[in-house]
Amino acid sequence: MSIIEIKGLTRDYGKGRGVFDLSFSIEEGEVFGFLGPNGAGKTTTIRHIMGFLKPEKGSCSIHGLDCWRDSASIQQSVGYIPGEIAFFDDMTGSEFLSFLARYRKTKSNGRMQELLDRFELYPKSKIRKMSKGMKQKVGIVAAFMHDPSVLILDEPTSGLDPLMQNRFVELILQEKARGKTILMSSHIFEEVERTCHRVAIIKQGRLVATDSVDALKAAQVKKYVITLENEESAAAFVNEGLNIASVSQNSVTVIVQNDIKELIAVMNRYPVTNISAPHQSLEEVFMQYYGGNI
Amino acid sequence: MINFTLYKRGMQGSWKTLLIFAAVLAMYFAIIISMFNPEIGSALEEFAKAMPELMAMVGMTPASAELISFMSAYLYGFIMLVFPMIFSIIIANKLIASHVDKGSMTYLVAAPVKRSTVVFTQMKVLCTGLFALVLFATVLGIVVCEISFPGELDIVRFALLNAGVLCLQLFISGICFLASCVFNESKYAVSAGAGIPALAFIIQMLANAGQDLEKFKYATFFTLFNPDGIIAGEASAYLGMAILLVGAIALFALSIIVFSRKDLHI
Repeated sequence: MSIIEIKGLTRDYGKGRGVFDLSFSIEEGEVFGFLGPNGAGKTTTIRHIMGFLKPEKGSCSIHGLDCWRDSASIQQSVGYIPGEIAFFDDMTGSEFLSFLARYRKTKSNGRMQELLDRFELYPKSKIRKMSKGMKQKVGIVAAFMHDPSVLILDEPTSGLDPLMQNRFVELILQEKARGKTILMSSHIFEEVERTCHRVAIIKQGRLVATDSVDALKAAQVKKYVITLENEESAAAFVNEGLNIASVSQNSVTVIVQNDIKELIAVMNRYPVTNISAPHQSLEEVFMQYYGGNI
Repeated sequence: MINFTLYKRGMQGSWKTLLIFAAVLAMYFAIIISMFNPEIGSALEEFAKAMPELMAMVGMTPASAELISFMSAYLYGFIMLVFPMIFSIIIANKLIASHVDKGSMTYLVAAPVKRSTVVFTQMKVLCTGLFALVLFATVLGIVVCEISFPGELDIVRFALLNAGVLCLQLFISGICFLASCVFNESKYAVSAGAGIPALAFIIQMLANAGQDLEKFKYATFFTLFNPDGIIAGEASAYLGMAILLVGAIALFALSIIVFSRKDLHI
């Protein structure tokens, strides 16, 4: 059964910005990754799902209720992390969280404490004085503390250090195991790879692809940057018949589809000083997967 | 229809401002009432003789030598119009537009609380503040008069005068609140919320000042508040109060509709 359904959603901001005839649905218990470059329309879509914006055409629904008309009843079971987090600046983190719990009429505060411990957050300072990462943690606690069955997360780990990103992934995995339905926009491949069942990519307001994460992983090509002792050996290395993406001075970027042994054999014959696998963004992986047609 | 947690939060956020305005009013009330002297005329009347146009512009022309007329002229022609108005401008912006501008509105609407409940609650905060300010002025006026000139003040008519000023201030706060609900940025909300009442007030000052400019009084809602008329018990003055009150209700109702239906880019 579909929990979140988007049908023909359109909002035209002019100059090609906005979202156009967007349709997809998310099943119960599914973790759905929502990806795309900046300005592609991810946040606009999420604002429609949250009932902040009224669709020009089409509709969004959660649990069969219209996101615009029945926003207040839907919100009972929705947790949300905004892309741009802003709280009441003059409150401390804990004041804000308990304000929110009372405002939402949340029954128990037990889960709040559990989440604070998990993210090692002691929100006694004023929100205005908090770092980006601290605010993000407060935002995460605010989204999960009422134990919602649907989670809408707009770049939930931005500003978090790798350790906390990892804690967040663990939290998502737990929630996934508990059968929560999650829509998550992200830029980090590992995060999506570890958590999501399915991924959709959106570009210029249009859905260009939806696929399972497993299919994506299988098609992923790896890039390695090989640094050699000098430019002469780099120039010779390029002529070894490998798939070369780029050369800059004494370092060569090699694309490996599936045979890593071939690369290792070649490297053995050269004065290699370093090898690294640069971080690949999800968009890059998608671009390779779909042959640059996106 | 009202979220008590949000209401409490709003009152916590506005009581400091309320205190400052109450202190300013207390200062003016104490100073001006102490200048009243039924026998030899007050120092303020000397001003009126020296610069009649200026004093007329700010409504400082008492209709009679009674204490209530004195207060009506020197306190309810300028001070009780302008200070509660500034209070409304500040608080109305803070309650809605500023939250939308900063993005903290997200947390108020991403909750099982209807938008109409959010606006209605914030409206209650604004009205409570304004009511408290006018009530404070009423009690203050009575107390100061009873201490300085026991038995001189007609308390019933003074209370009616304050009811009149409350109707006017609710109307003004309705304008400020509507501006706060319409605009997504504080700067525009404040420009409209302050600009419209300020312009109306300037027109009123011009209408007060001169013979030729008197017809301007039909171009400003301030004319609907007629302190001398209220004190004299004129039916038209009470009608003006009623119109202001109905107008205020209409403005607040419109604010709720506008905010509930608008797109929030937060």
